[in-house]
Amino acid sequence: MAETNGKGGLDPITVEVVRNKLEGIANEMQQTLLRSSFSPIVKEGLDASSSLFTIRGETLAQSIAIPIHLATLIPVVQKMLEVFPLTAMRPGDVYCMNDPYLGGTHLPDIALVQPIFFNDRPIAISATMTHHQDVGGMSPGSIPTRATEIFQEGLRLPPLKFRDAGQYNETLVAIIRQNVRIPDAVMGDLNAQLAACNVGARRIAALAADLGDNHALAIFDELLDRSEILTRTALKTIPAGTYRYVDHSDNDGIDLDKGIRIEVAVTVKDGTFHCDFTGSSPQVRGPFNCVPSGSLAAACYAVRAVTDPEIPTNAGCFRPITLELPKGSVVNPLEPAPVNSRTATIKRITGCILGALKEVLPERVPADSSGELVVLAFGGRHEGKPYVTGELIAGGSGAGPHSDGVDVIETDVTNCMNLPVEAMEMDVPIRVHRLALRQDSGGAGRHRGGLGVVKEYEILDGEVAFTYRGERHFYAPQGALGGGEGAKAHAVIHRADGREEVIPSKMMTTLVRGDRIVIETAGGGGNGVPATRDPAAVAIDIADGKVSTAEVHDKYARR
Amino acid sequence: MKLGRFEIGVDIGGTFTDIVCRERGGALHVLKVPTTRDDPSQAVIKSIAELAERWGVDADGIGRFAHGTTVATNAVLERKGARIGVLTTAGFRDVLEIGRQLRTDVYRVILDPQAPVFLAPRRYRREIPERLDASGTVLTALDEAAVVKAADELVQEGVEALAISFLFSFRNPVHERRAAELIRKRHPALALSLSHEVDPAFREYERTVITAFDAYLKPRVDTYLARLGKGLAKAGIDAPLQVMQSRGGLAIAEVARQRPVRLFLSGPAAGVIGGQIVGASAATDDLITIDVGGTSADIALISRRKPMLRSEGVIGGYAVRVAMVDVTTLGAGGGSIAHLDASGGLRVGPHSAGSEPGPACYGRGGENATVTDASVVLGYLDPDFFAGGRLRLEPAKATEAIDTKVAKQLNMTTAEAALGIHRVLNAQMAEGIRLVSVRQGIDPRTYALVPLGGAGGIHATALARELGIRRIIVPRLPGVLSAAGLLAAPIEHEITAEFATPIATFDLAALREKLGEIDRRAAALMAAEKADADKVTISYFADVCYIGQSYNLEIPLHPDDADPAGRLYRDFLEAHDRIYGHSVEIPAKIVGVRTVHRAGGSEILDEMRFAASGGPTEIGQRKIMVAGEPGFVSATVYDRNALPEGFSFAGPAIIQQSDTTTLVEPGWSCMVDGAGNLIVTRQEG
Repeated sequence: MAETNGKGGLDPITVEVVRNKLEGIANEMQQTLLRSSFSPIVKEGLDASSSLFTIRGETLAQSIAIPIHLATLIPVVQKMLEVFPLTAMRPGDVYCMNDPYLGGTHLPDIALVQPIFFNDRPIAISATMTHHQDVGGMSPGSIPTRATEIFQEGLRLPPLKFRDAGQYNETLVAIIRQNVRIPDAVMGDLNAQLAACNVGARRIAALAADLGDNHALAIFDELLDRSEILTRTALKTIPAGTYRYVDHSDNDGIDLDKGIRIEVAVTVKDGTFHCDFTGSSPQVRGPFNCVPSGSLAAACYAVRAVTDPEIPTNAGCFRPITLELPKGSVVNPLEPAPVNSRTATIKRITGCILGALKEVLPERVPADSSGELVVLAFGGRHEGKPYVTGELIAGGSGAGPHSDGVDVIETDVTNCMNLPVEAMEMDVPIRVHRLALRQDSGGAGRHRGGLGVVKEYEILDGEVAFTYRGERHFYAPQGALGGGEGAKAHAVIHRADGREEVIPSKMMTTLVRGDRIVIETAGGGGNGVPATRDPAAVAIDIADGKVSTAEVHDKYARR
Repeated sequence: MKLGRFEIGVDIGGTFTDIVCRERGGALHVLKVPTTRDDPSQAVIKSIAELAERWGVDADGIGRFAHGTTVATNAVLERKGARIGVLTTAGFRDVLEIGRQLRTDVYRVILDPQAPVFLAPRRYRREIPERLDASGTVLTALDEAAVVKAADELVQEGVEALAISFLFSFRNPVHERRAAELIRKRHPALALSLSHEVDPAFREYERTVITAFDAYLKPRVDTYLARLGKGLAKAGIDAPLQVMQSRGGLAIAEVARQRPVRLFLSGPAAGVIGGQIVGASAATDDLITIDVGGTSADIALISRRKPMLRSEGVIGGYAVRVAMVDVTTLGAGGGSIAHLDASGGLRVGPHSAGSEPGPACYGRGGENATVTDASVVLGYLDPDFFAGGRLRLEPAKATEAIDTKVAKQLNMTTAEAALGIHRVLNAQMAEGIRLVSVRQGIDPRTYALVPLGGAGGIHATALARELGIRRIIVPRLPGVLSAAGLLAAPIEHEITAEFATPIATFDLAALREKLGEIDRRAAALMAAEKADADKVTISYFADVCYIGQSYNLEIPLHPDDADPAGRLYRDFLEAHDRIYGHSVEIPAKIVGVRTVHRAGGSEILDEMRFAASGGPTEIGQRKIMVAGEPGFVSATVYDRNALPEGFSFAGPAIIQQSDTTTLVEPGWSCMVDGAGNLIVTRQEG
């Protein structure tokens, strides 16, 4: 085969064949990881990812189900290479860590990193990350809403050898087992990660055997360069300039009257994408701080979403991206600030970066989405046995330049399913009375924002420990191009004794039999001036009961 | 069943309608005619006339008529189903629209609805005061007046069918049944789909959606099958009209029309059964079939002679909970367009030139370089013998397209660029096959590859090499295998019931009673087929999962075994280990049970054996280019019709027949087996 024509002295056909294989290998690793994991959070929440890296720690290919994992292993692998230089690595070594302050995300996410050898030479790295069911700490599941320092959140693992030349590091395994609530499940999921890393190692070694290792390494570099060119080319289609946006998360669950400010200045210039978060809130007492890996995932997601989705995902795509993350702020906290609830913050960061671009890219970026994923947890006893159940509830998406937002839909970096009413009622003594679209919650506009949801629960038995972690109670999603804002979220407890308690975005309380909770999530922002909405669309909204006649009168009347 | 000399299988695809007619003790007659899009039954009726004319197939002699149809799929893809209403429990009319709040393309920020809201926009969904609890106990009695009012209003608004989906109806159908009774009395012509009948299982969104799809399809499928039935009657045929269902079994039209959601994969299921008979004829139990068409490639697995099924499928991008053969579609085919991206990288697909304008070499104005154009440049396709000579290809246009779109920019010869296009497409398809295999927990190296469709044979040796597969079976009639599959498929009726119990404590008597109940319903359906009761085989399955897990596996159930619970549990652990890579001995539960009644069906169609034409086996030499060989090599071109049993040769070779072309790369040997298949094997060493 001609290996010398084309760019960079490489056969462009072989380069593309290798690219397809690398994606296939990452997908096979991911399939192996999902298949062999035990935890429902991996199997159903798909909260896991698989990546291949170059020996310099640059992403070669990645397979993910939810974008919050995008680019997320980069700081981990970089840290590993710093602590364990390549020259010290041996075949069969596997490394692990989870510490957010050393490059991780939050403690439940444990990364495994395995150097891949060919002819005794390291040629690539396979890595996996899984959200584990429990890593110890002050509460089961290791995402304690009341944590005020990371030590309460679980076991912290710095970069360590998990396997040494094929043998488990028994000391480490013993420490892990002793510190988590469900040692068998955690070890089972770690072994699934190991199996996935091995798939990557086996197939990359086979690829190197086919191509020759030097040739393979040259192709890896070429692929990164290509994605970089494609990304820079796409970024150049965005008018150069600095675009600013400010939005807020409600509070940190501890200081309930203090909003968390996220401020971003996105500078797009000469094919580069720089996000400066100066002006964002100082780090908070509660667990809503977000270490740099989270901001990086948000920025990578935004770039992908506004460029060409067919650009192969690898480190080349991320090279044009730079971040300014002020030390000691909510986007770059200092130890030992707690970080377990970072997801809400990453969602807001993503929304801000996209929001900054919505005026300059009106065809590619919609109005603000609700950007909330309510986290509910109920823990009680039924027929003598303890139970815990929970669910994640979305709001509406922002309207696009030519289409209404979608009602009750997951957006940005997460993609989680809700819990079927029948599943909940079959398992626990809670009854759901209502699951409905929330009238008038979509931001008014030429194109209307998606609606939020109303969900109503009744406690049927005993005392229930109840956790509610909401967003958008105090800060509404904004519209675009003259569109109105989406309705804010709202949640209230109707106590059996007749009292009413409004939930201030975050709450932990005890519920008793007969208590009802009514949750209303936020709607998406509208797009375009409401008075210009097609009257036929307004009539359908009224017929469908998505918009009331009063709302039409208030917001859509032509003036 | 009526005994006739002839049995007819008709598979209606998007472009062609394939007809296979089997004559008892005689040969297999094959016809291919263009599909009549507006009324597909027209093409069928016309070809019956042609069968009579060419082979003396008289209407009287036709014993059965088996049919694979795309009518259900097309109604969804083209949004041409009925206007329907949905009745739900009060408080839950938006279940259909909220769905699971998931989106399929995570990188899109401007979203389209992700649930099939088009089935019934909110104004056509009505709430009925009624409520059961999780055990099926009535909490709120059915408001009968509300049912009547909602139905009357919806009918007034032009609704042709109604879906009724109440919470926990799978535990106790009393309210759904009573509502249906009230509505039928007032609106006897209105089609009804009840969720506890369509899909008696928990999770209200999944059950509601499939019930709504059922109602949406009913009037259309009804009209279609009635029209076809009438047409057949007019042609003097009074043989039963059987329709292929997505699981790979046939049902008589009168039964099939009652549950149209079972027809989504009617055509592809027939193809998988076709693949199964090819495997059986070559004494091979484990197969991967890949059907490479113009815009896509369909991958299916047959394991231990059985098509692999999935309990949930996808239709038009929407997940639907109805069992079907596990066919995975890749956006890669002969029409896939090769282009260069902004960094100078060669990409193949996902865009396709389709059939209009099609590849450049079709000469219909297409200017893009496609995989088919590459096949022409590489010498794989004979321009004068494409699709049996029905379409004359223009090699100059293929060369020009590849030159201008790919070769020049890459500084390559046309042939190098064409080979590059093939290598890239083959890499994509190989990764696709690998992923499907991993997902099912199988090792592709132990499977045989069966290439199907017009273009499958061209890619077979390259894919097999990439996947480490050592054996390829090219069927005698790959172009009409779906139609042949229709003739080989059994009649099948399947009934599922909710039956929730931990395995460890299950009550065998209660299980037997439940199975007896669903057996009676399945037997009633079988009776409508006029199948011999003593030829019906019955198999039972249980949907099983670990307690706390929500994904089920379908496990064979043996109620007459000495220890049915123990066996079920052990089989579950084994299946869990195969599919998920591990199993632990923690408690598992049964979620539902299923009975499957089958009658008829044959594993082998002997008639697929054809006598060699007697003409010359070799019809020339052609210069071709293949991966791994420098420059062009000379390949022998064989006429498939002339190859007798036992004939063998080695690659490089090209085997031509009217419906496909097979490329045998150097390093592979080829032999015609007793059933007429080409068996291509990797040379050792």
